[in-house]
Amino acid sequence: MIRNRKKEALVALVLIAPFAATYGLVFVYPTIDMFVLSFQKAPLIGEGRWLGVDNYTRLPGDRRFHTALWNTAYFVLLSVVPGTLVALGISLGVSRLSGRLQALVLALFFLPYILPVSVVFRIWDWTLNFQFGIAMHIFDLVGIDRIPIFKVTDWFMPAVAVITIWWTAGFSILLFLAGLRAIPQEIYEAASLDNAGTWTTFRRVTWPLLWPVTALVLTIQLILQLKIFDQVYLFSQGGRPNDNLVMVYYIFQRAFVNNDGGRAAAIAVVLFIMVIVISVLNFQLMRFSERRS
Amino acid sequence: MLKVKTWARCGVLAAATLLSSAALAEETVVWWDFLAGGDGVRMKKMISDFNEEHAGKIKIDATTLEWGVPFYAKVQTSVAVGEAPDIMTYHASRIPLAVQQNLLSEITADDWQTMGLGEDDFAPSIWNAVSVDDKTYAVPIDTHPIVLYYNKDVLEAAGLLDENGNPKGLDSREGFTSTLRALKEAGSVKFPLASVTADGNFMFRTIYSLMGQQDGELMTDGEFLAGDNAGKLENALSVLQEWTNEGLQSTYTDYPATVALFTSGEAGMMINGVWEVPTMTDLRKDGKLFEWGAVELPVIFDHPATYSDSHAFAIPTGKDMSPEKRAAVLEVMSWISEHSLFWATAGHIPANRNITDSAGYKAMEPNATYSSLTANMIYDPKTPLAGVAGPIFDVMSTYFVPTLNGEMEPEEAVEEITYELNDLQ
Repeated sequence: MIRNRKKEALVALVLIAPFAATYGLVFVYPTIDMFVLSFQKAPLIGEGRWLGVDNYTRLPGDRRFHTALWNTAYFVLLSVVPGTLVALGISLGVSRLSGRLQALVLALFFLPYILPVSVVFRIWDWTLNFQFGIAMHIFDLVGIDRIPIFKVTDWFMPAVAVITIWWTAGFSILLFLAGLRAIPQEIYEAASLDNAGTWTTFRRVTWPLLWPVTALVLTIQLILQLKIFDQVYLFSQGGRPNDNLVMVYYIFQRAFVNNDGGRAAAIAVVLFIMVIVISVLNFQLMRFSERRS
Repeated sequence: MLKVKTWARCGVLAAATLLSSAALAEETVVWWDFLAGGDGVRMKKMISDFNEEHAGKIKIDATTLEWGVPFYAKVQTSVAVGEAPDIMTYHASRIPLAVQQNLLSEITADDWQTMGLGEDDFAPSIWNAVSVDDKTYAVPIDTHPIVLYYNKDVLEAAGLLDENGNPKGLDSREGFTSTLRALKEAGSVKFPLASVTADGNFMFRTIYSLMGQQDGELMTDGEFLAGDNAGKLENALSVLQEWTNEGLQSTYTDYPATVALFTSGEAGMMINGVWEVPTMTDLRKDGKLFEWGAVELPVIFDHPATYSDSHAFAIPTGKDMSPEKRAAVLEVMSWISEHSLFWATAGHIPANRNITDSAGYKAMEPNATYSSLTANMIYDPKTPLAGVAGPIFDVMSTYFVPTLNGEMEPEEAVEEITYELNDLQ
């Protein structure tokens, strides 16, 4: 059969068109617009006026930007690697169980993941509220001083990181479990024939063979946690949001509270570039370590 | 060809039916508010009363949205895309910003005449709060200042009530602090005063009131905290920090916890908005609350002053409103204003003078006790940066929380606030 290349191309174009149009409309166009907006003095909605790079040059001297940048980095540090390790540990434990017990334990660990963030907030506020939290009554019983966890800056980020790990570990656990199941049993048998101990087996067999999954989990976590917003927003409600600012929160604040679309866009561009650079670096690093092993 | 003609005819007929039915049918007024507390319950009652009285003519289709930033962000976006409501509640303090953003349709002299209302029906401070450059942009419903709530049972037991049943020491800083100390020594409550110390946004109201008691101003000639105004803010912060340091008020307390501390009897007094009056009234009616009262804020400095804001009705721009629809909206505004005696049961002080002058209002408690403060009310500075959940609120709140909980000295806080406020412009 003679293929009509022209016709094929046309069909392909027609098939791609809806996606391309949607993608262009809801992603490419707004992204370009964001870049343009970041060079303007503009309200959230409506025409702006050209400003040049002012929105960017004032960022280094902007205290809130510093807070947001630092808090985001701190949160990533507190959540990405620890979260991945916790999930790995739990999945190693769960994989030793079998049958219904395994299903039950897995369900228990996965349960928090299906909760909406607002419910997560409610649960932990009930638990840790300074005046009425359940945990505070336990503190009183044991004789420890109450801590206003979400109201002091030293405690805020670590607490939110722990809660985030508790909340999102379920998904990483599933990925790790799938990875563990994909490792052939024969390798473990061979290892045990060679008299390898538990630690050696983990270090020489499980860890290297699981590395692609670990790398995936780390990358997903990294990108996700750089964009943290919901938890920080909710837990600083009625508290001190400006001390707990993270990048996305700061964008929201400039855009929706201060009605300053230009400055908000400039911060968004910075975050956008940060996410791209960090992801690419991360990806290269993973590839490098994969090749070495 | 015939087919097309038939279709066209059908279309014309359908359109005609629609049009004629629209002319006959009742006018639906889409309403947005942010009243979600005890006052929201009362507003819903007023809406249903209105609908009943105007059955077949006007129907209010009301939605309650999240107070604060979410509400105002939604208003802004909805106006931009032409999906705004026909009428909405608005804070008078945010009107300068709204006018700058071109969100509000002017209430013209004709509109006022149609409503049967005018400048004379409102206190000058309220009328001024809804006006920008001699044009009015909203119809005030109320003013809602903050007041001092107190637990009569606890204060009486500690011998801290005067002959009128009001707390002692409302006339000076020393007097009020010693009342708080006595309450602490009595040991019947965990905290003498429940204070929203975790939420700087809320504390703006208290602190701005204390500044007003020294004739302090936030903004003079476009500059923030110029001259001795900075010192006055520092004074205000110092008093509150002193109460914290002596263990006289609750620390790191958010809004719901503050109300809960007071209603559960764990705190003897509370500074909060009049909008919590219905909470107390309803709890008391169910026998779940002690004997309570509410009075004007104590005079900590030179003379009485209380921060206040007004709820008002506004008409968003960006919609082509038919004259019938606009008439319906005006009818809603004027009806609610006329019937705002019931709104007073939500704690608010009605903006309409004819209501506050009526015998019915004068007999209402605890409103009558604290309504004297209308003479001493101060409003936000008139700038687009002001207003609830606005930029000024936001900046100041950042430094209020550490100061009120003893993490930061008032002097440092004032320096930081001045720097950041002037950086806003």
